[in-house]
Amino acid sequence: MNAPDETIHQPVRLRIMAALTALSARDEGLDFARLKSLTGATDGNLGAHIDHLARAGYVEVSKAFVARRPRTTVKASSAGRAAFARHVAFLREIIART
Amino acid sequence: MTISPNEAGAMLADVEAVVARVKQSRIYRRAGEITILWGAIIVLGHLVAMAAPRWALWEWRAADLLGVVATFVLMLRGRSLAGTLFPLRLLGAFALFFVFGLAWSDLIGRFGPRELDAFWPTLFLFGYALAGLWFGAMFLALGLGLSGLILAGYFWSGEWFNLWLAIVNGGGFVLCGLWMRRA
Repeated sequence: MNAPDETIHQPVRLRIMAALTALSARDEGLDFARLKSLTGATDGNLGAHIDHLARAGYVEVSKAFVARRPRTTVKASSAGRAAFARHVAFLREIIART
Repeated sequence: MTISPNEAGAMLADVEAVVARVKQSRIYRRAGEITILWGAIIVLGHLVAMAAPRWALWEWRAADLLGVVATFVLMLRGRSLAGTLFPLRLLGAFALFFVFGLAWSDLIGRFGPRELDAFWPTLFLFGYALAGLWFGAMFLALGLGLSGLILAGYFWSGEWFNLWLAIVNGGGFVLCGLWMRRA
């Protein structure tokens, strides 16, 4: 049986990983504003959760200036994709056992 | 860590909801780019047709060809989400609509220039409205809304119909495309 992933288990981080892994690996990722709207988190809260995922090696964060405005883009790493897939499989196993 | 089946079910439902929103947003984004492209082509097409009415038919054929090729390229760029076959299916849908339109406008129907100017955009907007039943309400709103405005221009814009189409149809496509990209 798969084991739960403590990093991904937290609801906001689960939503972040769900959003990022819905895109293909070739995709450029999602920007901070879009992630904020998808997760319903505040700026500070979202930033903290993204940092947590980045420290675990699950996401890659890039910052750039677009039209003179700072833009943060977040993308799932291959390790993050694999961890998310394992966590979702773990959740499905819990349901399948009932 | 202990997770109950109810909690696991709620988490999976949350995941599915987020994934659905991301995919919907990507569809709107790609469709928004294509809609803006066609808006620009329509505006230019009507302006050139007003400036050189004798060449309008050939100018529109060239504009349509340019639009189809550019659409295909944009679809190929975004095929990762929509699936590899989607651009080919879209091209097939374009071809079917075009053949249907040619059959009715050139062979079966006896349309005048004004009727043709109303027929072609509403035919393709009908496709947008149909797509809305599968891909999102914005397509339906665009298809029905712009069709209504085109018909209003057909009946009431008088000699300014071409300009009406450039602004309402072309400009409407550009605005709707920008709206979709923000969704």
